[in-house]
Amino acid sequence: MIKRLLIAAAALAYLGFLAVLGSSYFLGLKQASAWPPPAKAVPEKDVPKVEKNVQQLERRMTALQPKGLYIVIDTAENRLTLMSGDKPVRTAVVSCGSGVVLEEPGGKKRSWVFDTPRGEFTVKSKITNPYWVKPDWAFIEEGEKIPKGMEDRIEAGTLGDYALGFGQGYFIHGTLYTRLLGRNVTHGCVRVGDDDLKYLYKAVPIGAKIYIY
Amino acid sequence: MKAMTKLAALAVVAAAGLAALGWAAGADRAALAKKQETLNAEYGLAKESKFYFVFDVQGRKIELRVRGMVLRTWPIESMRFWGRPDFSGSVELVKKTALKAPERIVIKPGETEAPAPSPAPAGTAAPAANAAEFQLEALELRDMPTRFGLDLDNGLHISIKSRTGDSPGLASRLRDAWRWYVGLPLRDLSASRKSQGLSELELVFADGKDPQSIYWHLFDGIKGIIL
Repeated sequence: MIKRLLIAAAALAYLGFLAVLGSSYFLGLKQASAWPPPAKAVPEKDVPKVEKNVQQLERRMTALQPKGLYIVIDTAENRLTLMSGDKPVRTAVVSCGSGVVLEEPGGKKRSWVFDTPRGEFTVKSKITNPYWVKPDWAFIEEGEKIPKGMEDRIEAGTLGDYALGFGQGYFIHGTLYTRLLGRNVTHGCVRVGDDDLKYLYKAVPIGAKIYIY
Repeated sequence: MKAMTKLAALAVVAAAGLAALGWAAGADRAALAKKQETLNAEYGLAKESKFYFVFDVQGRKIELRVRGMVLRTWPIESMRFWGRPDFSGSVELVKKTALKAPERIVIKPGETEAPAPSPAPAGTAAPAANAAEFQLEALELRDMPTRFGLDLDNGLHISIKSRTGDSPGLASRLRDAWRWYVGLPLRDLSASRKSQGLSELELVFADGKDPQSIYWHLFDGIKGIIL
């Protein structure tokens, strides 16, 4: 008797569960049938006004796009593309920031995140035979003492033959580590191979836009 | 009598034609309204110089844009949906959730030792395949998850995965099936009883790298438009 009651209760619970699940599927189908939500049509008398507004918005959107040559850098794929309008002019394999965090031991406890900054930038400077003025983190990373004099911070040859500065100490520059092009290894700058760097230096004017994403 | 039948047939055809023209004009005007709305929303984002995304549900693609330019497109292979369908419009990514979120490597000189890669002489670059083998202390695209969720500020939750990525085990597949075919419908029913909404989209990408790339490029707080 008890066994039968238990079986009946279990069957009822199962049927109840199926009924609830069935209602949720019914609701789901009803919701799905309402997709995509219908767009409200423009009243016939407003059509010329709306068409004019759409044209104006399209013109404004076009005006936002950069003029002349500009650089687009994909930090995930480590690819740099020199663009003119919507046409790629040259593509280069580069190295972007490693994303590593460096923490300073001892009292000051400063920290640095080695990311290539993302956003819209402009080419602010173009330098030939650049030398690297090593910041504090370069010494901390090597476990060396931070020098007091400026002359002890200067290192020649590391950045290649050319550098294009885009602000806050970040550059597109050359590299000795050519076999690591295509990997995320830098402290935030964008490293480019010699031939591509030379091309970029010659082609890209100061003021050109850089988009890093 | 024959002439009457012909006239009636002509009248029916003409009425059907007019009705079709009226419907087409209505559809055109709806499309125009949608275009204006989308352009308005995009212009608001594009004039700010920040990156934004455009999720074209019917076009089955997600695009990363800046200044109206498309930087990257991720084509969606398949998708499925539960809940309220009114999730289109301007949105903001509140957070990304992953079972195994990538973590930054922290270097503390004196405590950890970071192996420095040795420089190769300029112009003697090793083949790309060789370079790709290096295990670096870095956060790279390959470290990004292939399955994760995006929570948007309009309540929409998007699950992202790839068809070719890490194939989950049987337990994980069963859990996913239970969640999709039982858990979500019940949650949807419960939410609708409380006058709340549930919107859940699942997007599947053909290329295993696409979800990783989306995780990399869509940062918390990025704004976007769902079409």
